[in-house]
Amino acid sequence: MAFLDISAVSKSFGSVSILRDVDLSIEEGEFVVFVGPSGCGKSTLLRMISGLEEISAGTISIAGEVMNEVEPADRGAAMVFQSYALYPHMTTFENVSFGLRMAHKARDFIAGRVNEAATILQLEKLLMRKPGQLSGGQKQRVAIGRAIVREPRVFLFDEPLSNLDAELRVQMRAELTELHKRLGTTMIYVTHDQIEAMTLADKMVVMAGGLIQQAGPPLTLYDDPDNQFVAGFVGSPKMNFLAGQLVSADAGAVKLSGVGGAAEIALPIGGVGGGARAVTVGLRPEHLTIAGDDAPGELQGRVTLVEELGAESFVHLTAADGTPMIVRARRDAARAGSSVRLGIDAGRALLFERDGQRIRGSLTQQ
Amino acid sequence: MSPMRKLRRFTLWTALKWALAIAIALVAVFPIWWMINVVFAQAGEPVSLNPRLWPTSLGAGLDKITTIFAETGYLRAYGISILYALLTIAGVLLVGSLAAFEFSLFEFPGRKILFGVVLLALMVPTAVTIIPTYVLVSRLGWLNTMEGLVVPGLASAFGLFMLVQFMRAIPRDMIEAARLDGAGHFQIYWHVVLPLCRNALVTLAILTFIQTWGNYMWPLIVGTKEELYTVGQVVGLFNSPLSHHTVDTVMTANLLAAVPPLIFFLIFQRQIVQGIAMSGSKG
Ligand SMILES: Nc1ncnc2c1ncn2[C@@H]1O[C@H](COP(=O)(O)OP(=O)(O)O)[C@@H](O)[C@H]1O
Ligand SMILES: [Mg+2]
Repeated sequence: MAFLDISAVSKSFGSVSILRDVDLSIEEGEFVVFVGPSGCGKSTLLRMISGLEEISAGTISIAGEVMNEVEPADRGAAMVFQSYALYPHMTTFENVSFGLRMAHKARDFIAGRVNEAATILQLEKLLMRKPGQLSGGQKQRVAIGRAIVREPRVFLFDEPLSNLDAELRVQMRAELTELHKRLGTTMIYVTHDQIEAMTLADKMVVMAGGLIQQAGPPLTLYDDPDNQFVAGFVGSPKMNFLAGQLVSADAGAVKLSGVGGAAEIALPIGGVGGGARAVTVGLRPEHLTIAGDDAPGELQGRVTLVEELGAESFVHLTAADGTPMIVRARRDAARAGSSVRLGIDAGRALLFERDGQRIRGSLTQQ
Repeated sequence: MSPMRKLRRFTLWTALKWALAIAIALVAVFPIWWMINVVFAQAGEPVSLNPRLWPTSLGAGLDKITTIFAETGYLRAYGISILYALLTIAGVLLVGSLAAFEFSLFEFPGRKILFGVVLLALMVPTAVTIIPTYVLVSRLGWLNTMEGLVVPGLASAFGLFMLVQFMRAIPRDMIEAARLDGAGHFQIYWHVVLPLCRNALVTLAILTFIQTWGNYMWPLIVGTKEELYTVGQVVGLFNSPLSHHTVDTVMTANLLAAVPPLIFFLIFQRQIVQGIAMSGSKG
């Protein structure tokens, strides 16, 4: 059994079902990120682990012990809130030491723990200030400090960086990774930002519609998504999805027609069964190349917009059937208004059923 | 802003505003000034055909004050009134904040209905409840006791309502963070919620003071023995039609009753203004 085990967990508020039959195992020391669109139940799942929310069905256990009926404070989980939730009438020291003071720990012990946390988080000079006199980043550190002094078994973070500006966010991300390395404690982190998830996670858990869509290392989810939702959610700019018809399949390849309205292409995915049907082809922007007007290329598109970013450019096009696409290209690769042919890295293309399920070949892979 | 700009801004409109403010202040201050004037003068002087608008004799005033303190239960009445106010304030704050804590931050069966009852109580005029309350207090044997004076005033629907409104604005995260930190129910109330409601509590304390100090009817009804007379009742004795005190003695008694609230107002001026603004907008 894993360190933290979520087994067949469901949650509903009244008659509204928020999470259905969620299963997830988390190893000790892992940095796990729950990511998904707003309202998909990430916070709810986190709060059920913390004990702030009741578990409607299923069990959550930590280190082999079922937590369903255990008081929040006794679960060994510490939480950092998006709003920081610092007490405005207390100094940094008092905020950080609140839990220890409530547990009536000895003065020296409290001072020791707080100073240790303050050193890790560079809060030494701020210990006597109140939250009103701290910047957003400093408040964030205090909130983390409050979690650290409890020496929890699990850290829970609910969108902790979303109130910070972009630059500070990047910096805090690095600091969190550093902190995780230093403490080695299991961390569960909730965000709606897939870039944050990719950069922080050992294990990335993509959630949507009350279900876990896929869980695994970020690059696995990026390269080998289980369904169209995960494929589209992970990566920026998004993966391009083109409608097409599966014409035939054999041991080495599938043949498709009408991709993006017109193109006939073959993908090296062997052993696909099920006969001819409508499917969706997924192509990441970096797996498309812009070829010259007359060069051979499978897809054709009309350039609508070019975003020049200096090192590279994002070329927005529409396919023959009007589907919008984005190609990651080198600088000055195309002009708006022109028609171009696109080369496909067929080995990296993904195939999905129309209902979003991934079609994996049974013989060759990638 | 430069001084020049300031000067130019001093228009007719500003002058009118000042004139109005001064006029209102005069109307408000004059009665108090008149009391001082009457007390600190030889008997009969300020009400003579040729009245003076300023005090003329400190000695005469002090004489009157000593007479009143010596010959009536005024000092004891001060004590009773202050005790009555302090106990009521302490009780209202304690009961109100505990109840508001539960009403605003936790779910329990019947919460909505009970709160509705509280709101209803806000709308019932005192005149309606005063007789049943009297009967109840009398059955408890609390007539002419401090309990009888204080306890019926402890359940302040207004105070509860005001505190509930205030506590509802406390972010849930803060309560939950405290819970995760191992704070118990009472610790959350004491260490988190009460300090966060400090302003509301100060306001409620001030409003309660003003109300109890000025409360005439209830002490009159429940305390018929002299030992339990509040300042208001003692002054009432002076003012009653059958009393044979002269006008300046009556005035002295009134002035003495007005001094504590005046001092109180001077100390808490800022909080009182804020408090009335707050209870006006929130309650
Ligand atoms: N206490 C609650 N009562 C009723 N519905 C709730 C409650 N908390 C959350 N929800 C609903 O549950 C869904 C998931 O919420 P949440 O877990 O906060 O989403 P996320 O954190 O992924 O944005 C939302 O639709 C939200 O409206
Ligand atoms: Mg959330």
